[in-house]
Amino acid sequence: MLKYKLGIILILLLITGVVNAIENYLSTDQFVAETFGANVPKMQTLWLNKEDLKQVDKILGHAPAQFRQRYWKSADTTAWVLEEIGKEELITAGFVLKAGKILQVRILTYRESRGWEVRYPVFLKQYQGLALQSDTYLNRNIDGISGATLSVKAVSRMARLALYYDQLSTKN
Amino acid sequence: MFLIVIRMIIIYIYILMRTIIICKIFWGYSMRKSILGLAITAALFSGGAMAASIEDKIDMLQDEIDQLKAQAAHAEKNSGGLKSFSANSTLGGYGELHYNNFSGDVPAGQKRAKDEIDFHRFVLFFGHRFNDWISFKSELELEHSNTENEGQVELEQAYLDFNFSEKMNAKAGVFLIPIGFLNETHEPPTFFGVERNTIETRILPSTWWEAGASLYGELAPGWKYQTGLTSSLAAANFENFATKGIREGRRNVSEAPAENIALHGRLDYSGMPGLTVGASVITGKTGQDDDLLDGADARLTLWDMHARYNVDKLDLRALYAQGHLSDAQQVNDAFGYETANRFYGWYMEAAYHVWKNGDHDLAPFIRYEKWDTQADIPNNVVRSEESENNIWTVGANYWPHPQVVLKVDYQKYDKPDGDKGDKRFNLGLGYMF
Repeated sequence: MLKYKLGIILILLLITGVVNAIENYLSTDQFVAETFGANVPKMQTLWLNKEDLKQVDKILGHAPAQFRQRYWKSADTTAWVLEEIGKEELITAGFVLKAGKILQVRILTYRESRGWEVRYPVFLKQYQGLALQSDTYLNRNIDGISGATLSVKAVSRMARLALYYDQLSTKN
Repeated sequence: MFLIVIRMIIIYIYILMRTIIICKIFWGYSMRKSILGLAITAALFSGGAMAASIEDKIDMLQDEIDQLKAQAAHAEKNSGGLKSFSANSTLGGYGELHYNNFSGDVPAGQKRAKDEIDFHRFVLFFGHRFNDWISFKSELELEHSNTENEGQVELEQAYLDFNFSEKMNAKAGVFLIPIGFLNETHEPPTFFGVERNTIETRILPSTWWEAGASLYGELAPGWKYQTGLTSSLAAANFENFATKGIREGRRNVSEAPAENIALHGRLDYSGMPGLTVGASVITGKTGQDDDLLDGADARLTLWDMHARYNVDKLDLRALYAQGHLSDAQQVNDAFGYETANRFYGWYMEAAYHVWKNGDHDLAPFIRYEKWDTQADIPNNVVRSEESENNIWTVGANYWPHPQVVLKVDYQKYDKPDGDKGDKRFNLGLGYMF
């Protein structure tokens, strides 16, 4: 009986079909095209100095993976693709900002085995219109998701970072 | 002529400054003299070729800057095997230190237990991603800070995770049974109260892990499922049932009996921000072909319904759990235990985040729990005084950082909880990373 049931499990594993790998919901190119339409601006690079790196460290709770950040800018709209670890894996998210506020958030790639509810539009909609306070925190509370606490916090950290980068890009 | 000379000097200075900036970016802020010399030479050399035009020169330098930036970016991505390994591996963990002060009444003839301080759990997570669809996850725990006294080292999770698609994924190995709230998510900053709630320790025996395979995914937007087969509990170990429920029946995948297997299933809806509603069940024989049971199945079916609503500053949580054990009478006859045909428990909890300032977060909470481990007993058992009880808990969590928590609470039991009395004051410290 045990062998029979374990056999079923193995068969189920095999028939789960073509391996689709990590969930890629949107490529960076698609995200940028979706944001700017036919007139995609040239990609720019934001270089971080020592002071910027300190702020980024404060927002993320760790040093950034690199000291430059690519972005796209057209008039007062900027688009950023950022990555941050939820519990164990990187979450890739796209942020569109307009006049210093979040216009839209999209999850581009989700790699964690739990907490993928953060990609739902109904959750991400909470970030629309948020701005950065002077202490680099968001100016409104985000309702969490049970069992996805770390993924929610990771998306919020990225939202703060996108707003901070947007401020830097405006200064530059 | 004079103007041309002035322009050339300005251009030399400009080129020299740009070269120095490039050197600073790629060799750090403490540039050595030799590099400075190189920069000056480069500037002079560049100046010699300036006859063409100033704009051409600036364009050339811009190209060089772009190339050097590209090289730096490439170097970041390819900085050796160690980084490549670490990029695919993750380390995490959590821990909690508890202080328990026992007071109030104790059962007649018993002496109250001494107060305790205990580094209850020290846990390390290690994970590794082999490729874009296979990863390994593990959790190693040291309980009670050493392996003497009641402490032990436990491998709570060690499984391979196969990411097939949004709808269907699989994991196989040793993993946590997907039941209730705390069994899978029990890092101290994620729950209220110093100690885990009683329902999810005595009725749902968290932390509960078994070996097996499980499928999980999303049925429709907002609807998550998990189902699979695992090893099962052992009725031969259902000791102290009245006070501990089925906890002692966990064999922790340590040379555990494997004559029986259990089927688990879970369904959750979390399509609205802040809301999670769900149910889970596990069923399996626990007799494990024990000779003393004379063929009795001792099938255990344990289920729960749970809901959590976290909106703005309010955090509400409720859970009801119930278990059924067939052949409880045979189990008691065979091993001299006091198992029940049916046992249950439930709790409701409300917290309010009264103060949030940056990372700082303070939330008082109140919780009511009620349980009965012998709600329905066979006729060969005398109902224990300690099987049924309820607790009011009031306290607060304070997070100075989202991953660090300080906890305090006071608990009032309806009846003495054995020699630990009917009142308890607890302090706790926890972290996760």
